[in-house]
Amino acid sequence: MRKAVLVPLLSLVMALAFSVPASAHFQLIYTEESALEKGGEVNFKLVFTHPFEAGHTMDMGTPLEFGVVHKEKKKDLRGKLTPIMFESLTNEGKAYEASYKLRGMGDYIFYVVPEPYYEGSEDIYIQQITKVILNVAGAPTDWDSEIGLPVEIVPLDKPYGLWAGNVFRGIVKANGKPVPYCEIEVEYLNHDIEGNRFSEKEKVEAPQDAFVTLTIKADKDGEFVFGIPRAGWWGFAALGAGGDLTYEGKELSQDAVIWVQAKEMK
Amino acid sequence: MGKVLSVLAICLISGFFMAPDVFGHTPLCSCWDNGDGTVTCEGGFSDGSSGAGIDIRVVDNKSGTVLVGGNMDEDSEFTFNSPDVPYRVQYDAGPGHLVEIDGGEIVE
Repeated sequence: MRKAVLVPLLSLVMALAFSVPASAHFQLIYTEESALEKGGEVNFKLVFTHPFEAGHTMDMGTPLEFGVVHKEKKKDLRGKLTPIMFESLTNEGKAYEASYKLRGMGDYIFYVVPEPYYEGSEDIYIQQITKVILNVAGAPTDWDSEIGLPVEIVPLDKPYGLWAGNVFRGIVKANGKPVPYCEIEVEYLNHDIEGNRFSEKEKVEAPQDAFVTLTIKADKDGEFVFGIPRAGWWGFAALGAGGDLTYEGKELSQDAVIWVQAKEMK
Repeated sequence: MGKVLSVLAICLISGFFMAPDVFGHTPLCSCWDNGDGTVTCEGGFSDGSSGAGIDIRVVDNKSGTVLVGGNMDEDSEFTFNSPDVPYRVQYDAGPGHLVEIDGGEIVE
């Protein structure tokens, strides 16, 4: 009898212990607004987290690069980074914030090359090289340019000029060359960010795990299309875009991430 | 007569095609306070083209007098001393293409 109880109990414990949440790791460069009327001081949060579920936030190491490209000029902003603790719904993780004053019209491509993160459950390192593009006063300057990152998603639609219902298209590139058939995870920032934490309130409820992290694929030319169903921030992570890489003797998944912001048509 | 008409037609067609392609695009202007008593405005168009040479005026809100006038420089910028009176900036890319910015909204 004892054995009969113990076996199902053990099975249950094992199932719980090994059930991995369906949400994906996403390097975030968060700011409230991507399409600005005018310049001024803008605050960013650099957080390595699970944006749909506001779940486990991983500790970030010191970013290898953090900067901005404006009118084809690159500026190193690592000196502006300040360490913070960012609170998810389940834990706290080491993250960074930075403030930067935007002056003049046009596009500002902010990017981060994080230190690879060791993911123990998969025994691999993950490095998500991430871009977010802000615009001042509507003048387009740099949004569609490649900025020379090892891996990057080059947008084919303005990432700050999207209505909910538009499509967002991009090309996954590694060292300037398209990456065919790359798997791309897509997640919605489903919780607002208030200060250095996620708001508890979720915006939408996923009917099933497949809706938490959406998976799409690039075509033979590395291009992808995604129909944006709802206003807010959407993240795209092209997994392993960098190819077969190793870091400290282990597999390195070098992913290209971009965040785009859609607006409600009202 | 036929030759004159042809020349006129060619001139008209050439003029049409050589006219700067600015009016199909929205004029854009953004200004900021430099914090040293001067203000800089940057102009352009929604297709990313430059506003170099476009007229710009700084107008007294009360009297309508033009306090400073000029053209956007080769970097599509124009810098002026911040007036002591309430003012507005007019970036004038032609009829129906005027952008006005209230001086009170121009911050550092």
